[in-house]
Order: sequence, then C-alpha cells, then structure tokens
Amino acid sequence: MLQLERNPKARTLVDAQIEAGGGRIVEIPGEADWREAAEQVRGAVQVDIRFASFKDGRGFSLAALLRERAGFTGKLRAVGDLIPDQALHLKRVGFDDVAPETTGLDADWARARARFTHAYQPAQDQRAPVFRHRQARPQDNLAALNARYRGMSAEEILRDAIENEWAGKIAVLSSFGAEAAVGLHMIAQIAPDTPVVFLDTGRLFAQTEQYQQALSEQLGLTNIRVLTPDSAEAAEEDHDDRLWQRDPDACCALRKVRPLDRAIGDYDALITGRKRFHGGERMALPVVERIDGRVRVNPLASWDAEAVNAYFKRFDLPRHPLSDMGYASIGCWPCTAPVQDDGDVRSGRWQGRDKTECGIHAPAQRIAAE
Amino acid sequence: MYKYDAYDHALVRERIDEFRDQVERRLDGRLTEDQFKPLRLMNGVYLQLHAYMLRVAIPYGTVNAPQLRTLAHIARKYDKGYGHFTTRTNIQYNWPALVDIPDILEDLAKVEMHAIQTSGNCIRNVTADPFAGAAADEIEDSRPWAEIIRQWSTFHPEFTFLPRKFKIAVNGATSDRAGIQVHDIGLQIVTNAAGETGFEVWVGGGQGRTPRLGQKIRDFLQPEDLLSYLTAILRVYNQHGRRDNLYKARIKILVEALGAGEFGRQTEEEWAEIRESELKLPAGEIARIRAFFGAPSVKNPQPVPTSGKPGFTGWLRRNRRDHKVEGLSSVVISLKPVGGTPGDITDDQLDIVADIAERYGFDEARATPDQNLVLPHVRNADLETVWDRLVEAGLATANAGLATDIVSCPGLDYCNLANARSIPIAQAISNLVDAEGLAEPVGDVTIKIDGCINACGHHHVAHIGVLGVDKRGEEFYQITLGGAFGTDASIGGIVGKGLAGDDVPGAVVRVLKTYLDIRDEDERFIDTLRRVGPDAFKESIYAAA
Amino acid sequence: MKAITANRLTDGRVIYRTAEGQWSTDLTEAERLDGETAEDRLARAEAEFGVAVGPYLIDIEADRPGGQKWRRESIRLTGPTTGSTHEPA
Repeated sequence: MLQLERNPKARTLVDAQIEAGGGRIVEIPGEADWREAAEQVRGAVQVDIRFASFKDGRGFSLAALLRERAGFTGKLRAVGDLIPDQALHLKRVGFDDVAPETTGLDADWARARARFTHAYQPAQDQRAPVFRHRQARPQDNLAALNARYRGMSAEEILRDAIENEWAGKIAVLSSFGAEAAVGLHMIAQIAPDTPVVFLDTGRLFAQTEQYQQALSEQLGLTNIRVLTPDSAEAAEEDHDDRLWQRDPDACCALRKVRPLDRAIGDYDALITGRKRFHGGERMALPVVERIDGRVRVNPLASWDAEAVNAYFKRFDLPRHPLSDMGYASIGCWPCTAPVQDDGDVRSGRWQGRDKTECGIHAPAQRIAAE
Repeated sequence: MYKYDAYDHALVRERIDEFRDQVERRLDGRLTEDQFKPLRLMNGVYLQLHAYMLRVAIPYGTVNAPQLRTLAHIARKYDKGYGHFTTRTNIQYNWPALVDIPDILEDLAKVEMHAIQTSGNCIRNVTADPFAGAAADEIEDSRPWAEIIRQWSTFHPEFTFLPRKFKIAVNGATSDRAGIQVHDIGLQIVTNAAGETGFEVWVGGGQGRTPRLGQKIRDFLQPEDLLSYLTAILRVYNQHGRRDNLYKARIKILVEALGAGEFGRQTEEEWAEIRESELKLPAGEIARIRAFFGAPSVKNPQPVPTSGKPGFTGWLRRNRRDHKVEGLSSVVISLKPVGGTPGDITDDQLDIVADIAERYGFDEARATPDQNLVLPHVRNADLETVWDRLVEAGLATANAGLATDIVSCPGLDYCNLANARSIPIAQAISNLVDAEGLAEPVGDVTIKIDGCINACGHHHVAHIGVLGVDKRGEEFYQITLGGAFGTDASIGGIVGKGLAGDDVPGAVVRVLKTYLDIRDEDERFIDTLRRVGPDAFKESIYAAA
Repeated sequence: MKAITANRLTDGRVIYRTAEGQWSTDLTEAERLDGETAEDRLARAEAEFGVAVGPYLIDIEADRPGGQKWRRESIRLTGPTTGSTHEPA
C-alpha cells in the first residue's frame, strides 16, 4: 500500500481501528452514483474506490464528492488500474492511499506525489491555490507598467521612469561599452543629473576608462557614481590577479555583483541597456521586470543592431574605441574577445566557457523575475 | 499579454521534468504504450503516419515576438523548417523525435510557452476572438477570462481523465469570431440591464461524427462565479458522459440525451453547492490578470491610407479590420498563398512575423481559427511598411475571407486518423478559383476541407465544406453547403454523392459561379444560399463541366 | 503478401520488420509473409519491447503497398504527397 501523505494522523488512527478488528471497509466502483455511495459508506472507516481503468476518471469526482458533499472523513483508498502519474491528482481529490494493481513501482509513485509544488485550483488537499498565494504577496504593478510602456518609445519610457514613476529613486547602470552611448544620450536629454552607476572592476580596458570620462563629459552627465570592489576582499580572493582564470563567476561576484549589491539599496529601480537581440537569457526580456525585489527598466529591450547604429549616426555619438576592432560587447579585458559571428554580439564574452552573463542581472536564487 | 510569475514558471518546469521522467519510463519499459499514450497526449505528443507530431499551445491565440522566434528556432532545429497553425489556434510540428521533445519543451518554457493539455481527454486550449483587445465591436476583451480558465483547467485533479476531449471558447465582441456554438462550452460576454458584464453560457456544441450546435443553459453568469459554474458543468460531464463508445463520449451527446433543460438543471444543482467556495474568484486576481491585457494608445493618430504602391490598397481592402482605438488597425496575415498548404509557415517567415510584430505591431500577433495570423495593433501610418515587409516574405496575399482563404486539416498526407488527402484538394481549388479570377468577385465565402469525419478542418461549419472519404481504396469527396462558424452558426448539409478528387475544384467553381448568377446586390454567398436553398447549387455541382 | 510495419519509438519514423526480426525503414527489406505466418510473426513483434510502437500487418504487392490501404501505406513509405512549405512570392 502506498501512502499519499494526505492526513497521516487520521490514517494511523484508522489503521489501528482496522487492525483491532473494528471498522467497516466498503468497496465501491468509480462509476457509482455519489449519493448512493454516500449512503453505503456511512459509518465506514475505510472506503476503497475501484478504478476499472486508469483512464476512467469518474473515481476522481466520486472521491471529491464523498469528501466535499457527503462529509466522509474516513480513510479513502484508490484501488485497481492506476498509474503512478496519477498520484498527485488522487491525493488532491481526497484519497489517502492507493493500492494499484501493478506493484513494485513505489519509487515512481513517490516521485509523482512530490512533483508539483503548487496548484492552480483549490481541492480537497487544503493546499492554497496559486491565486491565494498571489493575494498574500504585495502586488506591485509590473503588468500595468509593461502594458503602459508597450508601444512607447525608449525616450518616452525613460522620461516616465525618471521624472514620474521612480523620480529621485532611479539610477542607470552602464558599462560604458559598445552600445552604451545610446541610452546615456537619451538620459542626458531628460535629466543629466541622473545617477550613472559604473562598475570599475579594476580589470577594464584602458580604452573603456578613457571612453567613460570622455563620453560623460560630452553628454554633460553630472552624477557618475563609480563603484569598486572591496579592497580587503580583493586582496584575499584575488591576490595573484588570476581569479578570472581560476573561477570567472567568483571574479564577477567580487568585482561586479557584490559592489553593485552594496549600492543598490539607494535605488528602487535601475535602468539597463539590455536588449533581446543579445540572445541567450535576454531573448524574452520585458521592458520592466523585477529581480530580487528591485525593478529593472530595459527601455531598449526591443532595439536591434540596426536601430542602435542608426541612433549613433543620427546624433553623431562617439563610439567606444574598441568597437571598430570587432568588439561588439565590451567587459573586462581578461574575458572579452572580438566577435567572430556578427549575429551573436555577446559571443566574445567569456569565450570558450559556458558563462554568458556576469550575474548582475540575475536573481540571487534562480527564480524567474516576477 | 499575460506574463508568467514564479508560480507559472514553476508549474511549467515541473511539468517538463514530469514528461522527461515519463519518456524515460516508456523507453525502459516501466510504462507500456497504452499507459504512456494518454500521458504523452496531455503534453501534445501524437504519433502520426510518419513521425510524432507536437502540438504547441498558443493560449487564446496570442503570441509575442520572442515566442515567434522560438517557434522558428524549433522548426529549424528539431523539425523540417516549417510549422502548421491549426483551427484551434495552436501550432503543430510534424517531425520531432520523441527523445528531443523534453528539450523542445525547455526551449518553449524560456519564452513562457508549453504543450500542456493540447491533446488527451482533458480540457484543451481555451480559444477566443482573434481580434480580442482590438476589435471595434468589442464589449470586453475575452482573453483575461481565457487566461483565468487556462490556469484553473491546468492539471485539474478531478478533470484529467474525462470521457473525451473538452474544448472551451470565449467571445467578447457582438460578432462571434470564436465559435461559441461549436464548442463543448461557449462563453459569450454580454451586458445585463444594470450595465454589468457577465457570460451567456452555451454547452454541447461540437463537430466530428455528430455535429451539433450548442444550447444556451444560462443567460447571465456573474464573472466571479465563472470557475464554480465551469466546475459544475465538468463535474456533471465527468460523472455522466458516456465512456462505452468513443464516438458518443463528448458532452454534446450527454446534453442531447438529457435535453438542455435537464442538463442545465443538474449543473445548477451542483453549482448551488459550490458557488460560495474557494472557487469564487477574488476581485484582486481578476484585476491582476486583466491588467496584462489592453490596447495600446497612439499619439498623433493617422487616418487609414487611401493610396500607396500597387497592391497595397487591395490588401487593405481585404485584410484590414477596424480597431477600437483611433489611429490603429488590425491586419490579417494570410497563410493561404494561392496553391499553398493552408496554415503552413516556414521558420524564416516566423522570424519575419516576429520582427514585424515587434517593430510595428506592439509586439503582438494572433493565430486564428482560420489558420491565418493577425497583427491586432498596427499604426495606420505603418500599414504600408508592414505590407512591404509581408510582401518580401510571401505573406501578403490579399485574400482574407475569400474563396482562396481555404481551411484544411492535414489529412492523409500526415494524419493517422485520415481517410483521404485534404491538402491537395485545397491547393487545387485555390489554383482553379484563382485561374478563373473568381476570388474578388465572389467576395466573402468560407471553404473548409477535412480528410476524415473528425472534422478538425471544420468543414461542417463552412459555407462550402468538403469531406474526404475512402471507398475501397479510392478517395471520394462529399460536398456540404450552408454551414457557418460564429455568428448565425449552422451545420452544413450534404448535397449528394461523393465526387472524385479531380472533379472537386470544378464543382466548387460551378457553385461559386451559380452564386454570381443568382445573387442579389450586396448579398454574400451564405445569404444567397440561405435565401434560395441548396438546390440550384446542387445541380451545378453534378452538372457536366 | 503481407508485411509488418510500425513506428519507431524514439523518433516515430516508419519501420518494417525484417526476416531477422530487426526493423528497417526500407520496405524492400521487409519480410514477406503469407496468411498463417503473418499472425504469428505479428504476435511476436507485439510481444517484443523496445524499438517499435503499434506493429500491424499491411498488404504488399510486389514491392509496393497494396490492398485497400495502399495510399495510406504509400504515404507512410514516401512521405506527404504535397509540397509542405510554400515558396515566397
């Protein structure tokens, strides 16, 4: 007999009763009329519902109605032709145990029983349906925001985000890389004193450092906030300057993720330059998302390479010095290479490794952004 | 459109794990094929003539650009470079390997897609008006309700082993474009005397071997009662639907056997018990889901263009639809090039539609029950650019609703259940109608082809329906007339003996010419047919060419 | 004459039973069976586990499918009769 773990205490009691020789056990077929069945099972300590075929789902309604309507509180057991994949459904409609015809598959039953963490619908197993969980959590209006921003230009989105939605509590996160000038130029037109968070990892190309200063000056950005790794941590973890080689994830964590984490509390929202055409995990990027409780705004999500180039030309913006040398995406010098394939602009990052993102845009636990 | 939260993502991922496990157990023998079959069907996996077929869900027909690109990627990587849109607004792939399907599902999950419950004896994809959220005649967007029903019906513990498949449609406009009366449950959004919106509930519609129009069992259902009412209907069906005969197992048979009155009574009796339960939808959740849907706004609305490159205005005339927001239009992307396979699309075309939707369509496209696509929101100022891009991609056939806009099931070329081929018939009709220059003069007419009586191509509800049958190893085709999908729904009538495949296009052309001869001014094909009856048309079908 | 056909479990492709009890995608390699042995061989194929799904008997005439289901089995052998993607205009 396999346990469905529905109500262990009650089951123990009933099992004890049956062992002691008391208590009526009734078997009814899955197709029985529930009202008639309710009469038959009155006072029984255990009811077995027989499934003639695992495809015949009448037993599920019968169980649900005996629990829900007839108020049956005894032990409910499913017997007959059943497959392990039905474990959770059986449990949720009110069965305590199963005795399937095919035995020897206990591991499959156990795995199936634990398969789904949540359920959309209310059922006999008293598990709160998903919509109850959603109600319990504070709602913030990502859906409404995305709906509002849909169809708005990048400039309009930025203006709304900076002046209205998160006024005073928003910053832009910029690498001052190959495409950065686009978003920064837009922001400079709206509010040049918007904080620009720049992660100086200590491993930047000299050209990036020069470009950052020159571009900020040219655009008139007045509030550059440079973040650096903690020197004590750096001394301990990367004393030989080879951490990037040994463990690139740890190096990004030291030089980018943790410095950002320390500063991020000052802002409710961060603007990024991420785009869907970058591919990989960015393919389904929304304009507004939430990562670890903090909003990210990606006004250029739908922009492609052509649109970026057109903008550069239109406003005659200076390019990052490395752009002309085949660098489509520019990070730290140890882990950045020119791209071979124009179609995959980030393919030069952490080349030869599975790593495609540094981690500053990923949630701390691997749950999708809400 | 709806965006998954952590719960939605988790459920889809856990389902993929479950299916991977099921495939493994099938391969090593812990599951027999008989046990595995319902499980794989509930993940959209059919075994067809030459290969497995995977039916990917497109909930209420709505997709965005990242999703379209993933559909393209799947066609490219795991299939033969194309996909096929169906009459229930899903997409099918005809050549995936079973062992690859868990990986395909992983790719789909990244863009919030799945193949859950697109087959099997469970509640299937909930469909809606393809112009929902845009149509000028809309009362309310039906899609939030379709999404709510989708979640409620997913992995429903009580209703996963129904007597047969179960199809639900929701329509939110005054015109029915979702086919309320030919679904197991059809929900029509209406307003009551107090100005509140709610649902008219229809049950027992369906096609197949025994086509039936649905019957109304409730005039007005409050929105918060939706799920408890559906539960009541499903509970009556699950308990009392026939399980002894595959062809008598749909709810339409039960509704007919009991009578709509009695079926309604049993439903309401059950409903009374569960109405005030956890199933009552909290206003907060309704509002949360509603917030994902809506029409964009337009600064500087422009009027619909009246001139442009040659061909553009013709395309506008046939394929453009009015929009409730000034400055916007909806457009139909025809997947019916003359002589083509209805509903098929290549990987490159999917990518192009993605680009167009993203740049000019507010990142949204729809699949329709006619196997076409729709861009629901396009700025009038962008219409010509959109048309240019579609022309380049071979997707600008200006035939929405015309005689060359044919619906066809995959038929004997693909499907295990088929008795005859359907696609070649569709192609031949399309070619002949076009060669004779009949499409434009005839105007609105629906032609639908089926390769067997399961009627996945909806021939029962076509103005001109064609049903392929097998007679001692030869293909014959029966013609039906007078069916209609949607508003004023009707089931077509068989006109007489079956025709040989070669004779079908000529017969269809003669029917259309008969219409041109006898129609009154401004009368559509179906109106003329209903006015004069089928006899004149029957005669022309069997007349010597 | 008859032959045994099925679909391959892993990828669904059409397969035919050879005399050695293997499965081939080539109909010419299929074992030709007459009435009595056919049922026997089919039962054996059905009882086997692993490669094939749903084996059944088909009629063969020379090297082609025959009988009433000839068209269906021809399509299984050679694929869809229609070009399935249209060419851009």
